Amino acid sequence: MIEAFLTSFRLKNTYKANGFIYSLKSIPVINRLLPVSLYRSPGLKIFANFVSILWEIISMFLGKMLYLFIIIFLLKDHMKSSPANSFMHMFFFLTITGGFLNTHIFHPTRDKYYAIFLMRMNAREYTLSNYFYFLLKIIVGFLPFTLLLGRLSGVHIVICLLMPLFVVSVKLIFTALALHDYVRTGHAKNENKLDPVALVGIAVSLAAAYLPPFLGYAMNGAVFLALFVISAVIAVFSFLYVLKFPEYRRICKELLTADSFAMNRKDMATRATQKSLQKNIDFKATSSKSGYQYFNDLFVKRHSSLLTKSAKNITLISLAVLAFSIMACFLIPEAKPIINGMMLTFLPYFLFVMYFINRGKVITQAMFMNCDHSMLAYRFYRQPRAILLLFTERLKSILLINLMPASVIALGLPFLLWLTGGTDNALNYVLLFVSIIGMSVFFSVHNMVLYYLLQPYNINLEIKSGTFAVVNFFTYFVCYFAIGKKVPTLIFGTLISVFCIVYIAVALILAYRLAPKTFKLR
Amino acid sequence: MKLILNDIVKSFDKKEVLRGASFAFEKGEIYGLLGRNGSGKTTLFNCINEDLRIDGGSILLEENGVKREVCPDDIGYVLSTPVVPEFLTGREFLKFFLDINVKKIPDIKPIDEYFDFVKIGREDRDRLLKDYSHGMKNKMQMLVSFIANPAILLLDEPLTSFDVVVADEMKTLLRQIKKDHIIIFSTHIMELALDLCDEIVILSGGVLEKMEKDDLSNGAFKDKILQALRRDEND
Repeated sequence: MIEAFLTSFRLKNTYKANGFIYSLKSIPVINRLLPVSLYRSPGLKIFANFVSILWEIISMFLGKMLYLFIIIFLLKDHMKSSPANSFMHMFFFLTITGGFLNTHIFHPTRDKYYAIFLMRMNAREYTLSNYFYFLLKIIVGFLPFTLLLGRLSGVHIVICLLMPLFVVSVKLIFTALALHDYVRTGHAKNENKLDPVALVGIAVSLAAAYLPPFLGYAMNGAVFLALFVISAVIAVFSFLYVLKFPEYRRICKELLTADSFAMNRKDMATRATQKSLQKNIDFKATSSKSGYQYFNDLFVKRHSSLLTKSAKNITLISLAVLAFSIMACFLIPEAKPIINGMMLTFLPYFLFVMYFINRGKVITQAMFMNCDHSMLAYRFYRQPRAILLLFTERLKSILLINLMPASVIALGLPFLLWLTGGTDNALNYVLLFVSIIGMSVFFSVHNMVLYYLLQPYNINLEIKSGTFAVVNFFTYFVCYFAIGKKVPTLIFGTLISVFCIVYIAVALILAYRLAPKTFKLR
Repeated sequence: MKLILNDIVKSFDKKEVLRGASFAFEKGEIYGLLGRNGSGKTTLFNCINEDLRIDGGSILLEENGVKREVCPDDIGYVLSTPVVPEFLTGREFLKFFLDINVKKIPDIKPIDEYFDFVKIGREDRDRLLKDYSHGMKNKMQMLVSFIANPAILLLDEPLTSFDVVVADEMKTLLRQIKKDHIIIFSTHIMELALDLCDEIVILSGGVLEKMEKDDLSNGAFKDKILQALRRDEND
């Protein structure tokens, strides 16, 4: 079994190291420094192996430290119960949450697939040896931090020492239960797709972790010890069950094929997006236009559930919030000055709101997935004239879609301002309206122009352009940064309106100049 | 009319895929481009279609003795994996294509005639392309490449996804239209190439070479081609 483990470890390490070299290769400058035959180069290989093993060690400790520190240690001071009791209590129930989330055996991963089905390793030996390694990592990884943070919280040293063992016990019990469940139902549960029971279990255990100590009812050391002993006893039987379980190969087979071949989370997310982008083509929609207008018209109509539905929903929500605010003005007179003040100083906040509700990114993704990734293969579709004609059509559609909610907000804000007592400077009304519309147009143009200038996607909707990722992050950062900044509407509104107009003009000129060259498949 | 490739060079990183490939393809012939996996068939097509910039050499079209650059309208390129806009029906895709190319297509026929031409059944014409089979998508892709009537047709492994009946239909079709086109057909299925093509050109070691059949028997000709392809290994 140890041999099986070492083989699988080496295998995992090899492709982690190759993955590392691969990502090194995709960094522009470093790429040139690397030799072509770099997967063979011994020096680089040793370095990559070293990084991979280092990462294995770091990840053994780092995740557990952050987990204990952030969601237990930092929170314990906000509880009514004593720090020591809160610490133990939260640790106990969060460990149970963890039991629902990850037992390792039912976690479909690529390395398992490679080892068991491609390399034909013995499934039982592979699974068990890796499972025990997983448990060992829990003990080694947790121990320093349960000791350190536990002692700092005032937990008794014996309990600190037992805590990692408790985690192992819980994992064993949950694993045994899951295996037993497999025998009973003949169906292996996939931990990337939690069933309703698990979801309820997670919710309940999370509530049990935080609510009681917050209200002042946390378990004490004696209760923890008693529960530990009970779970340890059950864990011994569970261990025997796990050890003797005969059907690991069948479980792996079910877990690691077909649907769950989308094995890591990223794949799953990609699949989900792809699926959601491709479903619900509204077949009935027709168009009376012709040429590129016809093409775009059908695209928008056929994908209405994807493109316009959520914009409509956001519009409805905006209307509801507006109605609610108007009602508040009538029912609670004290709300009036607050809302009035918000209208005059909270405009920066709406930068984030407008960023958040803009559908541009999803729409461009849909354009790529459901249209451009196939159409760009055609030469006629890549002609400058075609690209620009379609760009114009699409820009119109995307603007209209986003202006639905924007117009509600743009009209609603000045109205609220007026309703709550108005302002000395009538320019404020205009600025509220213009800057909201401006922001909506800005984000629509921004997304479209970025898409046409960088065309960052590949068929899996993975972003292949570093520039695109940076620009996106920067946009988000700026918008997020605007939250909570109080700037007089007069100033912010003027600045943002001018900025939007200038940006839109520049971006469109750039797009019309450059898009014919930049808009292509990667 | 001739498509003249002159000393085409193309490399990726340090790997030289095309090393001065030269050839003159003439109208009225179907050329079978044979090459081993990774020999650069698709790269060559992408270069002709200007999807890839060539590192050296020239690609020219000779018409009535006058040479000129190849322009986009000269080329129809059918990819091995068919790509079609899945949210349109077959009819809508054709309508769109005819709409935007209305000035370039000399005598536009009713849409159904085009469907008849590639034998796509009436019941399928108004279905979403998303629900078309692989072979039918491929037919659509071929169809739009044919309609625009480009001088050069590049077909990258086009018949592999068809069932035997459809493959036979497509062969007949290609023979029908060959008199007006320069057709280059890439494949690594030798039987297909020998059956359909008038000339066999192999891409090996980054250069193009015409295989003369002379008076060899089919078996001996196959051996000759195989030998030529094996040379790649010894490079």
